[in-house]
Amino acid sequence: MKCSIRALPRECAPAGRTEGSLRKIRRWVARIALHLALGSASLIMLVPYLWALTASVKSRAEIFTPTPQWWPRAWQWSNYVDVFRYAPFEIYFLNTLIVVLGILAVQLITITLAGFAFARLQFRYREALFYLFLIQMMLPIHAVIVPNYLTIKSLGLLNTQLAMMLPFWASGYGTFLMRQAFRQIPAELEEAALLDGCTGLRLLWSIMIPQVRPVLLAFSLISVVTHWNDFLWPLIVTDTPRVRTLTIGLAMFVQQESGADWTLLMAATVMVTAPLLVAFLFLQRRFVESFMYAGLR
Amino acid sequence: MAHSRASWRGQRGAQAFLYLLPSLLFLAIFTYWPMLRAIAMSLLEWNLSRPEPVFAGLRNYATLLADPVFHLVLRNTAMLAAVAIPISIALGLVLAILLNEPLGFLRGVYRAAVFYPTMIPMAAAAMLWVWLFNPSIGLVNYYLGKLGLPRVEWLYDMTWALPAVMISWIWKNVGYLTILYLAGLQAVPTELLEAASVEGAGFWQRVRYVTLPLLGPTTVFVVVVSLINSFQVFDAVHIMTQGGPADRSNVLVYFLYQQAFRFWDIGVASALTALFVAGLLVFVVFVVGQMERGVFYEV
Amino acid sequence: MRRTRLRSWRLGVAGLLVGLLVTTAVGAPGPRLVRLTFYYPVGVAGPLARVIDEMVAEFNRQTPDVEVVAVYSGDYDPTMQKVQTAVMAGNPPDIAIVEISEMPTLLAMNAIIPLDSYARAEGREWLRDFFPAFLQNSYSDGRFYAVPFQRSTPVLYWNKDAFKEVGLDPETPPATWEDLEDYAKRLVKRDAAGGVQRWGVTISGGWNDWLFEAFVRQNGGVLLDYGRRQLRLDSPEAVEALRFWVRLTNELKVAPPHSTWASTPPDFVAGRTAMLYHSTGILTFLKNSARFPFGVAFLPRGKQYAVEVGGGNFYVFEKIPKAHQDAAWRFIRWMVTPERAARWSMASGYIAVRRSAYEVPAMKEFVTKNPEYLVAREQLRYAYGKIMAPNFQRLREILKRALDDATGGRVRPEVALRRAQEEAEQALGAWLKR
Repeated sequence: MKCSIRALPRECAPAGRTEGSLRKIRRWVARIALHLALGSASLIMLVPYLWALTASVKSRAEIFTPTPQWWPRAWQWSNYVDVFRYAPFEIYFLNTLIVVLGILAVQLITITLAGFAFARLQFRYREALFYLFLIQMMLPIHAVIVPNYLTIKSLGLLNTQLAMMLPFWASGYGTFLMRQAFRQIPAELEEAALLDGCTGLRLLWSIMIPQVRPVLLAFSLISVVTHWNDFLWPLIVTDTPRVRTLTIGLAMFVQQESGADWTLLMAATVMVTAPLLVAFLFLQRRFVESFMYAGLR
Repeated sequence: MAHSRASWRGQRGAQAFLYLLPSLLFLAIFTYWPMLRAIAMSLLEWNLSRPEPVFAGLRNYATLLADPVFHLVLRNTAMLAAVAIPISIALGLVLAILLNEPLGFLRGVYRAAVFYPTMIPMAAAAMLWVWLFNPSIGLVNYYLGKLGLPRVEWLYDMTWALPAVMISWIWKNVGYLTILYLAGLQAVPTELLEAASVEGAGFWQRVRYVTLPLLGPTTVFVVVVSLINSFQVFDAVHIMTQGGPADRSNVLVYFLYQQAFRFWDIGVASALTALFVAGLLVFVVFVVGQMERGVFYEV
Repeated sequence: MRRTRLRSWRLGVAGLLVGLLVTTAVGAPGPRLVRLTFYYPVGVAGPLARVIDEMVAEFNRQTPDVEVVAVYSGDYDPTMQKVQTAVMAGNPPDIAIVEISEMPTLLAMNAIIPLDSYARAEGREWLRDFFPAFLQNSYSDGRFYAVPFQRSTPVLYWNKDAFKEVGLDPETPPATWEDLEDYAKRLVKRDAAGGVQRWGVTISGGWNDWLFEAFVRQNGGVLLDYGRRQLRLDSPEAVEALRFWVRLTNELKVAPPHSTWASTPPDFVAGRTAMLYHSTGILTFLKNSARFPFGVAFLPRGKQYAVEVGGGNFYVFEKIPKAHQDAAWRFIRWMVTPERAARWSMASGYIAVRRSAYEVPAMKEFVTKNPEYLVAREQLRYAYGKIMAPNFQRLREILKRALDDATGGRVRPEVALRRAQEEAEQALGAWLKR
């Protein structure tokens, strides 16, 4: 039976000991304290977003009250409609979708190939080359934005969706994950496939990849969330609303209406964050497991 | 049988090369070539007054090192790391320990509440906190007032602007760290905990003597991840304070952004990039070395 | 398993294609059209981006062979960044409204074209119709580069209800620095814990360098002489002006030491500050949002009344085809016709850049009903050009930091300004003449 660190000694001790009523009370108190602690923590984490939600449906005049009102007097849903009048958030959404899927599509290819190579193939300099991937994993793109910007400029790709995707197409992190995953496939499976004459890409596609699907899925979720929220790189390589993504659109919107209309700002913020949050609500377990998996080594 | 195996291995070099090619291509263009290029450009004088670059030796480095804002920026970045990281790790650890307990269906609720900030962009999180930190109508000052504490000007205050950024950063990252610790906790063998409680260890004692040491590798990982994250802080500063007031919340990446894209001094920005990359590389090589030495568990 | 994988691949590719199609469709130009990219900032609170979009749409309707694509690019600083980036990347916009102090930087980048020939073709009266103070930031080496559009001066807003509350005459704003200090001391409201509920006066941050120029002029000094290329950030007049600020923020504590340009108008509306130094460009926003009567006044004088102009000018860029440059001029000329200038002024609170705009019937009626809109125009007789220099962004940061450090109480005014002077001399380098 699962023994948590909170379980009373009684449950883990050899049978024969009886439970006193004092212990019972202590157990209940501990339980309440636990829920109280977690409940308060959850509340603190939720408050910022909830506060934004209430602000997003208030009218402009209503937010200037000295004592915060949690319940809006009149629910002004039109704020959400107004946001679209001020900035083309539907275009921003489409761009974000394109960029995120574009990044993921190519990443899946590069990491599967590279991960497989590192896991199952023998070749010279394998260790050294793998270091290159490891280092990239820990080198944030923020460090090298200036040279990368100049590269994109020379390629004539400034202000395109492609520019927002390119630097992320190689993923040291994904390669690392895939190497781990492929390593864990039993050798017998591979040998059996070889016996059947299944080699190279076919081996990869038909036999190996299905084995690592959960890892690919986990990585996909992480990649989507990460790149949905990209900011600095899209900021410097895009200029016009035509290719702008949601996060940049929000920042620009902030500059436009900052101080003037908090209700619109909060509505825009809620809208920008809604897609991923809704997905999260439905797939909470998947998301959490993906991120957890990534933490395991 | 043996025949097919031999021919498989015979092609290994070419096949591996082919498989690695796409990744290596992008790594080269967007990770390694930029590093070299930054070093090269850092030796040039290339800015608005000099649109055609000219060789300048180490002058950009001298300019940087003589710039009082640069030192301020380094200090701010270090302070952010030194303060925000331990706090977020401690919170993450505690939350994970609590979440690891039997909680029934509420577990999912608590976990969602703690983890959801990971799903939103830092820029959006920063927006929420700008609103919360508003000195006149924000929630933070309101509750401070109710608790009898002095109201703070937050984003407009030279002392409190950086802490405000830190708070939003911690809020955004705690959930992710909690999840990492939860993963680590699940690897703690329950027999050890049982044994400890049989020996009469109380809850916190069990945490201290059994759980924490076993979370060692996880903690190292969490620290490394948080450190790298902390050096990249940009979004929050851009949205909340733009580095101000008087550069008191200016951090490394934001400073880099200003040099390159506001003042258009490519030479100095490249020098900064070179220093940044050098520092990161030293750090990374050190960490990778530790990894290979097996500080981390293989799961 | 395999089939679902293939299907999801196909879906992904299809989605990508659809997306690319949509975006190219959105970006497809019409036939035989000159398409101009027009970057513009909105530097003050309020839905002014919409007004610009409406005006541009009207121009496009009236001019079938030219299509202007207006791109909102943030506040003045981000807009300059975008322009710089675009120019350096080799694809500049055709037209942009850029903050007036950026002209020397644009010139140093060889980014803009002189507009003398265009202006001359309009006839001599055309240029003379603009308020002379606004043209001070349009010339360099005798050539004309920038057409005024959204122009302003700082003004003093005061909350009449607050004045009444503390026994001040609600119709009399402070006229001198001494008045300002005196009124602010009476208007500040503190709570039990010593925190400030209402500031006496707020000298808005964000563009406090702009406001500082005015104070220095009011004190008889000059920060930078563009013609003579001389910079004096630490003159005695400047130090005195900064000392006055520090007195308000640190000694008397009647003014907040720091704020942002966007946060202070709502603060005024919320009653958090009784007096506010800010641009005339927020006037419409205040009128629409404030629930109390407020007044608009000249900036109080020091030794004299003085104020700097501000705002953004139109520029036309180099390296665009001649046909684009011609079309750009048509757009600019249209945007500054008296009717449009009047409309822009009424929608925002910016000063209409031409005298004849005030003769437009709608405008006449408007200013009769809303005399506050004339205050900034009246103040023009005390107005000077704004400081400008190459590498202005850096100069601005240096100055702002000095001001923020001083009002924050970290550095003494004379030290802050002296350091700023040194840093600025380094930043401006060879351009400065000692």
